[in-house]
Amino acid sequence: MAKKPDLLPGTLDMLILKTLTRAPLHGYGVALSIKRLSDDVLTVEEGSLYPALQRLLLAGWVKAEWKMTETRRRARFYTLTAAGRKQLGNELAEFDQMIAAIGRVLRSAEA
Amino acid sequence: MKRLAKRIELLFRRKRFAADLDDEMSFHREQAAKDLIANGMTPQEARTTAGREFGNATLLKEQSHEVVGFSFESVVQDIRYALRQLAMNPGFTAVITLTLALSIGANSAIFSVIDGVLLKPLPYPHSERIVRLFLSGPEYPKFPLNPFDFRDFRERSKSFESLAAYSRGDMQLSGTGEAVRLSAFGITSGYFHVLGLKPELGREFERANEIPGNGQQVILSDRLWRTRFNAAPDIVGRKITLDMKPYTVIGVMPAGTDHPGNDYNAVPYGESVDVWWPFTFAGDPAHRGSHYIEGIGRLKAGVKPEQAYAEMNAIMAQLGREHEGDKGWNVLVIPLYSEIVGANERMLWVLLGAVGMVLLIACANAANLLLARASSRQREVAVRLALGAPKRRLIRQMLTESLLISLLGGGLGALLAEGGVRALILLLPAGFPRAHEIHVNGAVFAFTFLVSVVTGILFGLAPAMQASRTDPKRGLYEGGRTTTGSARQRGLRNALVVSEVSLACVLLIGAGLMLRSFLNQLNLDSGFRQDHVLTASLSLPETNYKSEAGVAHFYDQLLMDLSRAPGVQSAGAGSDLPWTGYDENLGGFTIEGKRPPPHQEFHARYHMATVDYFRALGTPLLHGRFFTEADKQGAPNVLIINQSMATSYWPGEDVVGKRITFSDTPKEKDWLTIVGVVGDVKDKPSSPHAAPAFWWSHLQQPNSDMSIVIRANTDPRLLADALRDEVKRLDPTLAVANVRLMDEVADESFSTPRFAFSLVGLFAGLAIVLAAIGTYGVISYSVSQRLPEFGLRLALGAPPRDVLRMVLGQAARLAVGGAAIGLVVALTLARVLRSMIYDVSPADPVTFVSVVTLVIAIALLACYLPARRAAKANPMEALRAD
Repeated sequence: MAKKPDLLPGTLDMLILKTLTRAPLHGYGVALSIKRLSDDVLTVEEGSLYPALQRLLLAGWVKAEWKMTETRRRARFYTLTAAGRKQLGNELAEFDQMIAAIGRVLRSAEA
Repeated sequence: MKRLAKRIELLFRRKRFAADLDDEMSFHREQAAKDLIANGMTPQEARTTAGREFGNATLLKEQSHEVVGFSFESVVQDIRYALRQLAMNPGFTAVITLTLALSIGANSAIFSVIDGVLLKPLPYPHSERIVRLFLSGPEYPKFPLNPFDFRDFRERSKSFESLAAYSRGDMQLSGTGEAVRLSAFGITSGYFHVLGLKPELGREFERANEIPGNGQQVILSDRLWRTRFNAAPDIVGRKITLDMKPYTVIGVMPAGTDHPGNDYNAVPYGESVDVWWPFTFAGDPAHRGSHYIEGIGRLKAGVKPEQAYAEMNAIMAQLGREHEGDKGWNVLVIPLYSEIVGANERMLWVLLGAVGMVLLIACANAANLLLARASSRQREVAVRLALGAPKRRLIRQMLTESLLISLLGGGLGALLAEGGVRALILLLPAGFPRAHEIHVNGAVFAFTFLVSVVTGILFGLAPAMQASRTDPKRGLYEGGRTTTGSARQRGLRNALVVSEVSLACVLLIGAGLMLRSFLNQLNLDSGFRQDHVLTASLSLPETNYKSEAGVAHFYDQLLMDLSRAPGVQSAGAGSDLPWTGYDENLGGFTIEGKRPPPHQEFHARYHMATVDYFRALGTPLLHGRFFTEADKQGAPNVLIINQSMATSYWPGEDVVGKRITFSDTPKEKDWLTIVGVVGDVKDKPSSPHAAPAFWWSHLQQPNSDMSIVIRANTDPRLLADALRDEVKRLDPTLAVANVRLMDEVADESFSTPRFAFSLVGLFAGLAIVLAAIGTYGVISYSVSQRLPEFGLRLALGAPPRDVLRMVLGQAARLAVGGAAIGLVVALTLARVLRSMIYDVSPADPVTFVSVVTLVIAIALLACYLPARRAAKANPMEALRAD
C-alpha cells in the first residue's frame, strides 16, 4: 500500500471546520468528506480525528448533538458555531499567507 | 473561562463522556465496514479491515480523554488504581508501610529535638547579638571574671549596647509558709536589658543598687510571685524575708524569663531562677585575684563577636599593665547560642545522621519489595505497554503507588513521632538545654511530609524505571509465570541488600563504640562509693548565725544526732559534693621549702569537711588520719589533701606532716599541717582526671553553706524524713534543699553518654532488623525462582547439605560485601564520634570485628529458612509448578 501524504501539521482543525461549513456531519462523515474532497489524497487518521473533535468542542468552535442518520442509526453530529466560523476565517487567512510565502520562495528558487 | 466550565462539567459527566465516545467510535467502524462491503468485501473481511484502520480503540479513548480531562483526573485514576493494588496485597502493604512509619517517625522525633534545641532562635529579642564573656589563662581555659575587671570592661568597651554580670547566690525565703531555698542570682544593672527582657511589674536594678548597702532589693520571677504571693498586684514595694533579712520587691519578671545558663555553680538554661538580687561591688578595687562573676553582653547592632573579642583583649592587656593580678589573661567572647547548645550540637546531628541511615535502609527494603513485586506484575505491565500506554504514564502510576505508601507511612510516622518525642524528652539528659522547647509542631510536620515524599520517590523510582523497560513481547510470552528477572534486575536487588547491610554495619559500629565508651565510663573508679548515700544541702542565714562558733556548733550538733539515728552508718558534711558543678579554686599558697615553677603558682581546689565526711562518702584514706573532734579552733591547723595534690607537689615524698600557708608573711599559727591523704575523687564521672584538692577541718574553718552526706545501712531514702525532722528540731526556720541520693547525682552525669548510646543503639537495632528482612526477602525470592533447579540437583543426587550451602553462600557473599563496605564507611565516619567517645579508639578493633561477625551471622540466620526450603525442594513438584 502506497503511503499517503501526511497532513500538514496544524491543518487538521482547519479542514474539519471547513467540512462543517456546508452541513452538520458526524465523525465518520467528516473523515469521508475530507477524503472525497481531496480526491483520496488526504486521509484523516481516526486516531487524530476524535481527539481533534474533542478539542474543537472544548474550544467552543463546534457543537455536538446526537441525531438519527438516514439509516436510523444514532450518531453524534457536529455543527460549526459562530466562533468556529470566525476561527476558520482566521486560519484560512493565515494559511493563505503562508502558502503564498512558500510559493514565493519556491518560485524564486526556480528562477 | 468557558473552557474551564466545560471541563468541570465533563469531569462530573465522565461516565457519560466515555459512553458517548464508545458509541461514536463503534458507529464509525460500522459505517466503514458497510462501505467496504459495498465495495465488494465479505462482511468478515470488512470488519477486520475497518477495525485495523480505525486503530487501537483503547489508546484512542485515552488520548481523547486526555484532551478533555484534567491532568489531576488521571492522577485520581492512578491513586484509585494504586489503592486497589495495595489492598490486593495487604501483607506486602503492611510490611512496607510499617517499616517506613517506624523510620519516618524516628526521623521526625529526632528532628523535633533538633528543631526545638538547635533551629529555634533563643527566646531573647535579637538573641544573635548576645555573647558571654569569660577569662582564659593557661591553667584555667574558661574562668569567671573579677568584679572590678568587669567594671573596667563596662567603662572602657565600645562594642556593647550593654554589658552585665551575674553570679549565683541562693537565698532562703521565709515568712510566707514553710521556709524554702530559692535559686537566686546576683545581677548588675542592665542584666535584663542585655537579655532584651522587661519586668512585667516594677523595674530592673540601676547603677545605684550596685553600691554596697543599697542592695536590699529584689526582683521576683513570675512563678514565685504566683506560687508564694498569690500574684498580689501590689507586690512591688512590699518587703519580704530572704536569709532572715528584709528585702524590698522592686519588680516581677514575666513568665518565660529564661536564665541564660552559667558555668560557675551552674544552673541550667531555662526558667530555673526564682529571684534576682543586686550585685554590689564591695572590697578593694586594686585586688583582682578573685573570680566569681560571669559576663554577658549585648553587642551593638552590626558589631561582630570577633570585633568585640579584639576590643576586650586590648582592654585586658591594658588592665594587665595596671594590675599585677590581671596579667596573663585573655578574654573569651562566646555567642550565647553556642554557649547554651554547643556541647550537644554534634550529638544531635550525629543522631539525625544515624536515624537518616535507618530511613535509607527502610527505603532500600521498600525498593526491594517493590522490585520483587514488579516482576510478578510483569504481565500486567506488558499488556498495558502492548496496548500503547505511554511509558511516562506507567512510571507515573508506579510512583503514585510508592508515594501513596510513603505518605501512609509518613502519616503513621507522625503519630509515632508524637509519642516518640514525649519518650525522648523523658530520656533526655538532666539539664539538657531547651528541653521544654521541644514540640511536634508545623515545622516537624512539614519535615515529615517532605521526608515522606522524598522517600517515596527514592524507593519507587527504581522499580518504576524497571517496569517501564519491560519488553511487551517477552512479558506476554513468558506469561503468568514469573521470570528469574534480568541479570540487571538481580544486580540491582543485590546492590540494594549490600547497601542495607553496609549501612546497618555503620550504625552498629557507631553504637558499639558508644557502648564501649559508656562501659569505660561506668567502670571508672570514681574514688568513692555512691550507693546508700543520701545527700542534702543547708544554708545558715548570717542574721541568725553570726559567729563561726555558732555555725560550727549547729553542724556538729546536727551530725551527732543524725549519726545516732537508726539506719545511719555515718553522717558528715562538706562544703560541697563530688560532681555537682562546684569548682572553687585557690591559688598562690606557699608550700614550706618549695617554690612554684616560674610564672606559675601552687593552686588546688579547696573544701571544708567535718569529721565523718570522708567516711560517709566512702573515700579511702591512703596515709595519715581523718579529722577528729580535736581539730578545732585553738588546736594546730590541719589539712587533708588528695592523692593528686600529693603527687603534684610532693612527688615521691611522705606528705604527712608537711606544711603549707596562705599568708604571705606567715607566723607559726598560720601554717597548716597535712594530717592525711585521701584517694582522688574524679572531677567528672566521665573523666579519669582529678585536680589537686585539699580540705580544711570544718571546726577550724566553719562554712555556713554545707552539703550533708549520710551513709545508710538500709535504703537511704528512708532517712530523708529523719534528716528533715532533725533540722526542724534544731532550727524550725531552716529549709532543707536538694535532698537526693548520691546514686542519682552520679546517674545524671552519665545521662548524656547514655542518651546518645541508647538512641544510636536503638537505631542500630532497627537497622539490623531491617537489613535482615531485606536479605531474607532477596534470598527467599531467589530460592523460589530457582526451586526447579534445586529440585533437579537433588533428583540428580546432590546432597541437601550442598544445596543448603549454596544458598547460604549466596547470602554470605551479600553480607560480606555489605560488611566490607560498611567497615570502610565506618572508619571514615567514626572520626565524627571522637569527641563523643571516651577511652576508645574510633577504629577500635574489638568493636569492628564483633560487629562484622554479628552482621554476617544475622544475615545467615535470616537466610536459614529459605535455604532449608531449597534443600527440601521436591523435583516433581518444582517442575510441575510450570
